[in-house]
Amino acid sequence: MPTTLDSTALARIRSLELRAKVIVEGLWKGMHRSPYHGFSVEFSEYRAYVQGDDPRYIDWKVLARSDRTFIKKFEDETNLRCQLVVDHSRSMSFGSGPFNKADYAATLAATLALFLMQQGDAVGVTTFGQTLQEHIPARNRPGHLRRLMLELEKPAPAGTTALDLSVSQLADLVRKRGLICLVSDLLAPVEKLERQLGLLGAMGHDVVLFHVMDRAEIDFSFDKSAHFRDVETGTERFVDPNMARETYLNRLKVHRDFIRRACERQGIEYHWTPTDTPLERVLFDFLSQRQRKKGGGRV
Amino acid sequence: MTWLFPLYLLGAAAIIGPILMHLRRRPPQDRVEFSSLMFLDAQTPMPVSKRKLEHWLLLLLRCLALLLLALMFARPLWRVENEAPLSQQTATIILLDRSASMRRGDLWTQAVDAASERLQKVAVTDRLAVATLDRQTQLLWSFDQDRGAASTRMATLKPQLNALKPSWESTDLGQALVDAAGWFGSAQGLSGLQKRILLVSDLQEGAKLEALRSLVWPENIQVEVVRVEVPNADNFTLSLAASSPEEPTTKDKEAQKPTEAVTRVRISNARDSKLSDFSLDSTPATSGYIAPGSSRVITVPALTQPEGSTITLTGDAWDFDNRVYIAPAQPKTVKIVYIGDEKTRDEAASPLFYLSRALQPTPSLKPELSVIAANATALPPDTQLVFVSGARLNATLAQSVRALAEKDGLVVSVIAEPTSPQDLETLTGIAAKDWGLSASKEEGSESYSMLADVQTAHPLLRPFADERLRDFTKLRFWHHRKVALPKESPLEVLARFDNGDPAILGKGHLILLTSGWHPADSQLALSTKFVPLLYGWLEAAGFRNEQAVSLLVGDVLPLDGATTIMTPDGQTLTLKPGAAPRAEMPGIYKVGKELRAVNLPPEEGRITPMDVAKLRELGVRVEDGGLKGTTSTLAEEKERLAITEQEGRQRAWIWLLGALLVILGWETWLAGRIRQSAPQPAFTSA
Repeated sequence: MPTTLDSTALARIRSLELRAKVIVEGLWKGMHRSPYHGFSVEFSEYRAYVQGDDPRYIDWKVLARSDRTFIKKFEDETNLRCQLVVDHSRSMSFGSGPFNKADYAATLAATLALFLMQQGDAVGVTTFGQTLQEHIPARNRPGHLRRLMLELEKPAPAGTTALDLSVSQLADLVRKRGLICLVSDLLAPVEKLERQLGLLGAMGHDVVLFHVMDRAEIDFSFDKSAHFRDVETGTERFVDPNMARETYLNRLKVHRDFIRRACERQGIEYHWTPTDTPLERVLFDFLSQRQRKKGGGRV
Repeated sequence: MTWLFPLYLLGAAAIIGPILMHLRRRPPQDRVEFSSLMFLDAQTPMPVSKRKLEHWLLLLLRCLALLLLALMFARPLWRVENEAPLSQQTATIILLDRSASMRRGDLWTQAVDAASERLQKVAVTDRLAVATLDRQTQLLWSFDQDRGAASTRMATLKPQLNALKPSWESTDLGQALVDAAGWFGSAQGLSGLQKRILLVSDLQEGAKLEALRSLVWPENIQVEVVRVEVPNADNFTLSLAASSPEEPTTKDKEAQKPTEAVTRVRISNARDSKLSDFSLDSTPATSGYIAPGSSRVITVPALTQPEGSTITLTGDAWDFDNRVYIAPAQPKTVKIVYIGDEKTRDEAASPLFYLSRALQPTPSLKPELSVIAANATALPPDTQLVFVSGARLNATLAQSVRALAEKDGLVVSVIAEPTSPQDLETLTGIAAKDWGLSASKEEGSESYSMLADVQTAHPLLRPFADERLRDFTKLRFWHHRKVALPKESPLEVLARFDNGDPAILGKGHLILLTSGWHPADSQLALSTKFVPLLYGWLEAAGFRNEQAVSLLVGDVLPLDGATTIMTPDGQTLTLKPGAAPRAEMPGIYKVGKELRAVNLPPEEGRITPMDVAKLRELGVRVEDGGLKGTTSTLAEEKERLAITEQEGRQRAWIWLLGALLVILGWETWLAGRIRQSAPQPAFTSA
């Protein structure tokens, strides 16, 4: 378990890249593992040599010991392709702590991107609101990380959230199998979301969902009657929080349970990430879960 | 408790305002940005029935402040019964105006009727005094007389009032009111009575009020004004204007010869007058135009009737102020003797030549210059002034000249060449050996002496106190005698030459000049100083050269030793010693042998009615009853005045104001505190 960083201090770091580096470095320190561990070529199995095999792959040591000819077989060395899909709708601009949800989501995505690119994986970023806004395909080349960071740093998220449409468009753009990390507050009707996420799974993508929410949204910790204004649509409703809290919390629970069950059904990894959760913990949990899922080894 | 302005209590209803404001629960005006309303239902604001008062302490303070404000404006007072006059008895002074302006129409009859009517209303238990006012205030019936004879006052006063006639004097209303206020203080047995002055007057604009400025009007004395009026206000006033010291204007020069004597008269038209054309019966007759409210000075040829002249104005409604009386010029004779040679009267080099020409008659002085020889034995009888220029007097004459100087005559002597120390000893009594007499002739034709160190404060040289006449630089002396008198000499040096030698010496009515005025000695006779110097000496001898003072009705007539006076209406009065008779009517008085013109005070012609507010401005507590005032309105007015007085003494509103300020301070502090403790909006979007 890594030591957590002070979220207020982290929020003061204006550069997203630097912020991601701080988190990743902190993660490694906490894990006490070499950052280069996952880069070795991994052994898969032995098989008996048959004519026509490349003699270069004969395991000469086994031959010397047992006088039998075996060929060492290795896993295919392809890079992981990760597409970070970040919600840029207006609702992400809400926040009660040092981070609003958009900052938090951007930092989370940047941290993942940095971590994966340090492993040599290809990372891309897609932002969406009502539709897909920006799409940077997954790559691993010098300067690509910088481009990703610039995209994630873009301010002024706009528009409403249309999850199903955006996921559907994403499925058209990302054809190669890979990891898709969706970071969103999921404050939109989610009835069709299960089907779209199931489509991504069916395409062979490994889908991870980070459900980002602010503490004020989770607890509805308002105490004064006021006109509540929807930042996405601009509509206003007079709300007495004391009277509305119970209903709100019930509805939110139903919403969250629906998403979680949908993820379970579709084999999607679901991470509940309130914005007051330290990012290195989120990353640590993510890596731990990935490792459990893969039975150890690299992400 | 009662209220001076109870209507202001309605202002207390304003407390409904803060109550409603505190009841009105505003729907929350706060707006909170929230990520999504998908889990929230709209609610309606709190219903009216659930309203309740917020911040009741603040509300209480605000209501209290408004209440105090209303109370303060309503001016509360406690009626203290013993402050009101315990007695309904009154002490009244009836002031009856009998100035000259009351001669118009039936004003006097109206005034006497009004005074009689009020007299009848005065109860026997009340106290009464009656006085008339014009230039002086004259008591007809005092409080002390009334104390002993209240029951017979009507019988005594009625004939007196009927016998009274308006005078010709001016109206000193201010002094009359001051006198009347004083009588309340000096009379006995008036404490506890309501004090009031009933002023029956035409209250003309020309009445003098200056005396009131020196008095703080007593609060317990009320003045009721009964104004008598005549409808016609068309009036011209004719009065003498001061003679102009300036040169006659071009117009005047065209009108008459510059040397001709003129009389300047001022004609004023009343402000409310509808007339503007007037005519004067002067010779020649003059007529002209004058706008209402303005005045104009007109020059008419001087009238020279030996028994005195009258200029009459015609063209207006009221006749009482349409005349000015002018006494003829009556110069005093001054008998002046010059001791010398009569033959030199027309010789330009002789002193007599200049003396005889300088002493010209004026409107007030008539010098008669006679010449006697130095060897004459005595001065002519009744000689008042003697001039000697260098002649050697025989001893007898010198003795009589010295006697004249020691009595009340004036002697002016020039120390010339033939004058010896013995002559001076005879004249002054100072020993001949003390004189140190010697001649001083300035060397060279351009040499001269000038006057310096002139004692202008001395009576003999007073004309030169005027700065315009004090320049002696153009007055040159060619020749003078040196006199070296000892310091303890009784002769006073009135002026010196610039070399320090005495120029003018004086002792009582004796003046010694060390240089003559004739051209052989000096430029004095030819200079502008000579005539003022001579008239200064005449004045020192008791002969003042000035215009006769214009007298007004009410002035004391100057007697100058006269024992009989003939008044304008032909009566002859024989005066007792020490009497100071006042002129009671306009016209020409004959005081002894002198004729004196007495005129109406010009301000008496300003008949436009004066606003009673002028009296109030001077502090007089006036209730303007008029002739039309009813008893009920008077009673109400009296009541209102009484509670105003009490409120003014108690001043409860000041305490209310203090309490209001304290409460407002609390309210401000409390409201600030409530505002500070109000929660701020907790969440905002980034």
